[in-house]
Amino acid sequence: MKKFIPLLLSVTALTACEPNSDKTSDDKSDSDGPAFESTYTPQTPADVLLRNAKIIDGVSAEILEGDLLISGGRIGFVGSGEIPDGITELDLDGRYVTPGIIDIHSHLGNYPSPGVQAHGDGNEVTSPVTSEVFAEHGVWPQDPGFDEALQGGVTTLHVLPGSANLFGGRGVTLRNVPSRTVQGMKFPDAPYTLKMACGENPKRVYGNKGGPGSRMGNVAGYRKNWIKAQGYKAKRDKGGDFDRNLQLETLADVLDGKILVQMHCYRADEMVQILDIAKEFDYKVTTFHHAVEAYKIGDYLAENDTCAAMWADWGAFKMESFDYINENVPFVHAAGACAMIHSDDQNNIQRLNQEVAKTWADGNRAGLNIPKAEAWKWLSTNPAKALGILEETGTLEEGKRADVVIWDGDPFSTYSRPATVMVDGVVLFDKETGLKPKSDFRLGYADLTEGAK
Amino acid sequence: MKQLLLLTVALAFSSQAQAQTFFVDDATVVAKNGTQSKTDIIVVDGVIQGRGARLVAPDGATVISGGWVTPGLFASMSSLGMTDIGSSGPGNDVASESSKTNVSEYAVDSFNPRSVHVANVRQSGITHAVIAPRSGSDSIFAGTGAIISLTGEFDSVLDPEAFVMVDLGETGTRRAGGSRAAAMSQLRSAIEDAESFTKRYAESSDGGDVLTRQDAQAFARAVKGEIPLLIRVNRAADIMRLIDIKQNNPSIKMILVGAAEAWEVADEIAASNIRVIIDPLKNLPDSFESVGSRLDNVIFLENAGVDYAISNLGALGVTKPATLAQHAGAAVVEGLRWDQAFGAISSIPSQWFNVRGDSLVVWDGDPMEVTSAPIAMSIGGVDQSMTSRQKALRDRYNPSRSDDRPYKYR
Repeated sequence: MKKFIPLLLSVTALTACEPNSDKTSDDKSDSDGPAFESTYTPQTPADVLLRNAKIIDGVSAEILEGDLLISGGRIGFVGSGEIPDGITELDLDGRYVTPGIIDIHSHLGNYPSPGVQAHGDGNEVTSPVTSEVFAEHGVWPQDPGFDEALQGGVTTLHVLPGSANLFGGRGVTLRNVPSRTVQGMKFPDAPYTLKMACGENPKRVYGNKGGPGSRMGNVAGYRKNWIKAQGYKAKRDKGGDFDRNLQLETLADVLDGKILVQMHCYRADEMVQILDIAKEFDYKVTTFHHAVEAYKIGDYLAENDTCAAMWADWGAFKMESFDYINENVPFVHAAGACAMIHSDDQNNIQRLNQEVAKTWADGNRAGLNIPKAEAWKWLSTNPAKALGILEETGTLEEGKRADVVIWDGDPFSTYSRPATVMVDGVVLFDKETGLKPKSDFRLGYADLTEGAK
Repeated sequence: MKQLLLLTVALAFSSQAQAQTFFVDDATVVAKNGTQSKTDIIVVDGVIQGRGARLVAPDGATVISGGWVTPGLFASMSSLGMTDIGSSGPGNDVASESSKTNVSEYAVDSFNPRSVHVANVRQSGITHAVIAPRSGSDSIFAGTGAIISLTGEFDSVLDPEAFVMVDLGETGTRRAGGSRAAAMSQLRSAIEDAESFTKRYAESSDGGDVLTRQDAQAFARAVKGEIPLLIRVNRAADIMRLIDIKQNNPSIKMILVGAAEAWEVADEIAASNIRVIIDPLKNLPDSFESVGSRLDNVIFLENAGVDYAISNLGALGVTKPATLAQHAGAAVVEGLRWDQAFGAISSIPSQWFNVRGDSLVVWDGDPMEVTSAPIAMSIGGVDQSMTSRQKALRDRYNPSRSDDRPYKYR
């Protein structure tokens, strides 16, 4: 590994900042007042000009060579532009700069380390319909996994409830920033999501607890509850007095297009059934998660503008994942659909770039011809789109949040790691200076910073 | 990128070639000890037929520029062929939750060389593997493991009685009844049962303290040191207790599996001649017994002179060991030399488990790069098929192929 010039601005950048108090949220149609609002405000960002970078911007299919301006926590320009006087310059000497990675499927904080039973807060396994629960209410901000994911270049992550239930509850999009509270991590104004689940999990969990006990029961369960939600929405739309119902409120917000459906589904045939249910009740499935057989129905996904979030090479852990192939992501991409990588795992999330590199190479080996910069979209652009935050992050474009990773080598190589990770232009991890967050949980245990003799 | 595209073109031709002849131009050849050299190589049906600085490609050979030629990879931990799908049920024979036996349960009896996962995993360049059971019921003893080759043939079991597998730590604690003390008591008593086998089981009707007759008999070889005793353990304090057992029973050949906190006691492990299998990607304090997990664990072991192998222990069970080389690459990132990391996934565990015979893999790049894949391979001089169920699915749904037939007819 080549020596890397440290970002000296990192330590000064880490000064505390008062929470921004003008944030408002008015999209809670039923609430009496705002609840659990984001209190996230970036620490003071330092302006910096990254010189001589290889830039993968998440938009272009080409790797660009040039400079990147970060100013006021936002991207100033990409490639070339007007350079402010007296700005700190950093010569990257041809190193790669990419958008921060976005993981659309994480349970960090909900199933934190250490994985003791008392930490199992990610799945309300008490009823097949729990659309009233919020993943954020089970997020422990001290999960050491957040800090490790940051060092893998993850700047935004979507934490969603588990997959035991047909309607699992609301997911939350988080900035991967050190915070004492989950409110301090919430991505300002990001839409809520609804976690739903297909297939084996709901019917296995509830088969002996009143159902559903089959895929037939699953579908009946979705439809019965969408009918209830339609009734609730009609009452709500009419205005006047009505009893607020947290469970139906979430579903009605889906019907109103305010909440994005993120649905756990493996089998090709089942995903197409779900798309039919969405047509019946006039809502949109934003993303199928896991989607191990998405490669069989890329055309359906493209037609319905539904994304698929997938692994590179996981499968066979249950029947509905038996048909996994290593080319799932590039095949879905080649069908013209919105494809992306996801982790669903506290280890995998630390190397999502390698997961994309694997599946990208396998796709090209199978005859596709996808450029690296195009494949990068599976790591940030498409997950940002699927989470409704593409206007704010996911690509390196002027005016967007400066969520940036500087790599110590080609991000498609096993041997490369993030050298510097910025969120909103603030350096939160810097390998050279040793700057990194440390969870409360890690205090008092063996010192992990002392190197080997 | 450019290189990868060239290889894609080359591969398109190879599928039509009659004889499996490869000309690897300017190949990086990796010796058994992991060292690299450059030469041209001719591979016919998976076997090297010529090597030299300026060879000429034979007629009809597929030319691969800049490929790598290495010994096959050895996966030092897996349950390959013991399970069709990971969820419990008839497709999964890795652990027996309510059996009356333990050490005398042989992984080889659960092994199906025709499992589709054998061919799936072989596509990652892995030619040999340890297959090990997991503990079930109320015993820390998971059973007796085997060594296999990944030919998928019925003669692919190389050693059906290769080692005894034990679960200590939190899993063993649960099996033994709820405390580490109970798990360690079970282990010590079982050693005594096996040592006094003839006296206790053959000459009297007393039986053993924790092992039944057939389990004590099966455990005897490990206690005598004829085969290794593999122990899943993570906490440094637990490792120190095992070192204590080793001192009292010097004949036992211990191999620690996991050993997340081994770095804290690396010198002691080295001094006790205990071997270790670790995963260089383990860094989360995901249990109280592994709060000391760190990516550079392997560097401490190397520096202390511990005899270690690398495995992808943290990877998903069913598809393990497919990502073995990726995990070894993580050790290189931490500062291990390439040849050391490669040895830890090939020659070192091969020697531990007495695997003889040559294996060969031709790759389209550095095997530890996630973007690389094998093009051809042989095991014991026999060319291996580069097809699998996964690849058949890939080919049926490949969007780059034009085929108007309905999918089920492709």
